[in-house]
Amino acid sequence: MDTFVLISITGVGLGALYFLVASGLSLIYGLMGVLNFAHGTFLVVGAFVGLWMSTQVFHTNSTLAFIVSMIVGGIGAGIFALIMEQLLITRLYNRHIDQALVTVGVALVVGAVLGGWFTNDLRLLPTPPWFINTVTIGKAFIPVDRFLYILTALALLGIFVGILKFTRIGLIIRAGVENRTMVTALGINVKRAFSAVFFLGGFAAGVGGVLIAAYQGGVTPLMAGSWLIYGFIVVVIGGMGSIGGSAVAALLIGITKQFVNYYIPGLGDFVVVILLVAVLLVRPQGLFGKVSA
Amino acid sequence: MLRWKYSRPLLGVLLLITAIGPAIHLGFLAEPGMQQTLAVAFLYGALALTYDLLFGFTGLLSFGHAVFFASGMYLTAIFVNSAHMSLFSAAAIAIFITSLLATAVGAASLRTTGITFAMVTLAFGEAGHIIISRNFGNFTNGENGLALNADRVPSFFLGVANTRYLFWLALSVLAITYFAIWWVTQSSAGKVFQALRDNEVRVSVLGLNPFVYKLLAFMIAGTLASLVGCAMLVISGSASPRFASAETTIALLLMVILGGALTRWGAVIGGILYSLASTRLQDFSKIATQHHIPKVFSGPLSEPAFTLGLIFILIVMFAPGGLSGAYYRLRQSYFAKKSRKIEAE
Repeated sequence: MDTFVLISITGVGLGALYFLVASGLSLIYGLMGVLNFAHGTFLVVGAFVGLWMSTQVFHTNSTLAFIVSMIVGGIGAGIFALIMEQLLITRLYNRHIDQALVTVGVALVVGAVLGGWFTNDLRLLPTPPWFINTVTIGKAFIPVDRFLYILTALALLGIFVGILKFTRIGLIIRAGVENRTMVTALGINVKRAFSAVFFLGGFAAGVGGVLIAAYQGGVTPLMAGSWLIYGFIVVVIGGMGSIGGSAVAALLIGITKQFVNYYIPGLGDFVVVILLVAVLLVRPQGLFGKVSA
Repeated sequence: MLRWKYSRPLLGVLLLITAIGPAIHLGFLAEPGMQQTLAVAFLYGALALTYDLLFGFTGLLSFGHAVFFASGMYLTAIFVNSAHMSLFSAAAIAIFITSLLATAVGAASLRTTGITFAMVTLAFGEAGHIIISRNFGNFTNGENGLALNADRVPSFFLGVANTRYLFWLALSVLAITYFAIWWVTQSSAGKVFQALRDNEVRVSVLGLNPFVYKLLAFMIAGTLASLVGCAMLVISGSASPRFASAETTIALLLMVILGGALTRWGAVIGGILYSLASTRLQDFSKIATQHHIPKVFSGPLSEPAFTLGLIFILIVMFAPGGLSGAYYRLRQSYFAKKSRKIEAE
């Protein structure tokens, strides 16, 4: 029973990290049709900004310093995403394949620049001392940092849902995901919604980047690799453009991966991939996606 | 600017010189190091061409193509090492099994279209990469890669002095791939592939089944990729999991875009240039340190990905159609100018 609790909670913690990567991908694809291969780069940029904040500005590993670094990392990645959108994506209006290709190019270039400047070695990210503690639930010892991941993901889910449901820009984004042509035809400036989505997606990925750095022990330009692929898998299973779908799929994948890896070590990734194929063959639009007209 | 009439025989002469260069000790073609580099580049040219059949001609954006390439490599290595087959029969069986594999994967993933298809192929590709790199069933030797048992390789493929045979092997695989794809794209099925890319609905209205034709393209591309994989195994001496990764497929995509999708020679040139660039661009770092360029610039410049990524972005933004597209545009504007001149006279 305690193993069950332990695996479930660490699975939810992993799912929280997947959600942070996937939520922005999902919104960007849902609204703009851009398959963003540079999303992993947002994550790395966020992690580096967070690292800079916590080592060069704060010089302390207090909880407050970590949380502020995390938010600043998110803002840094958001601004980076915004610049990329303004500089490259808007110029390739409606050329979806080209937009995806340009993001591949950005991922290559920025990865090489960061690798050239900082080398590909792992740089330690200072974390608050209580990160290595565990709490006991029943008889299971749960690492405390997982709760921070879960809380952060929940907070961002709340912020996303709040913005989408209760603000004007959110209304435009939701309408745009459903039918962008109609929104444009009604004379509403969708471009601002595009920028907002890129900033928010970059923000979530940046925050996720700092947390993933804490989870993996440090920051490197190569850290995004498998997280981006998992982000794609979550988005596709959850349904493109659906934030709730991403949250459910991220949980599903995080928990599945932890359980399979516990019982058959090393097979977790493989089962997740098979799960993706199965979902797509039965329901190509994903669990919560709408069938495109 | 050359007229097409003259450029075709010229290309033939160039190819002939390249082919006999190593035999008559012609310039850099006589150096084994250069022969090896060029052999690898030729194979990437051939591989990019097989991807062009999928992406450029049929409009299928697959992210799992590298798996068929790796499958050709690994199956050949496994049959040679464990089943003690000769190299050529092992390669033949590996190519046959890969064609069945490509048909199965294609049949499953082609039930979806567009971006979903890209994602399913990415998933299949990752599954293959995981099977290879985690060493399931102890066949693949995991992350370390699987070396080909040199005892079972014909002796003329071994040793530095014999590098020219590897060069010719690569060149002939490139030629075989080129003619196979030329034949396929010229055939009536090939016309249907291109029609599917342009407008799938119209093809089905004409009474043709898009699924069957897409599956055929997927199967042919996968089979030819495994042929290139067999040659790559002989040339590099071992198979490694990185050949199956999504990064390899993305590199293929870059090659095709660089050279220009839709044209056969564009994809080949793109593949060759990409391969040469990624091995040669590392020399940049030496030049950068010699000339005391500040580290802010020399660091990124020493990474081939920086230059390649930058070129890639510029091509997508400003020169859609890649190198071959730019060539055709230049040629068109040249002839337009010439005909205007004639009119003026």
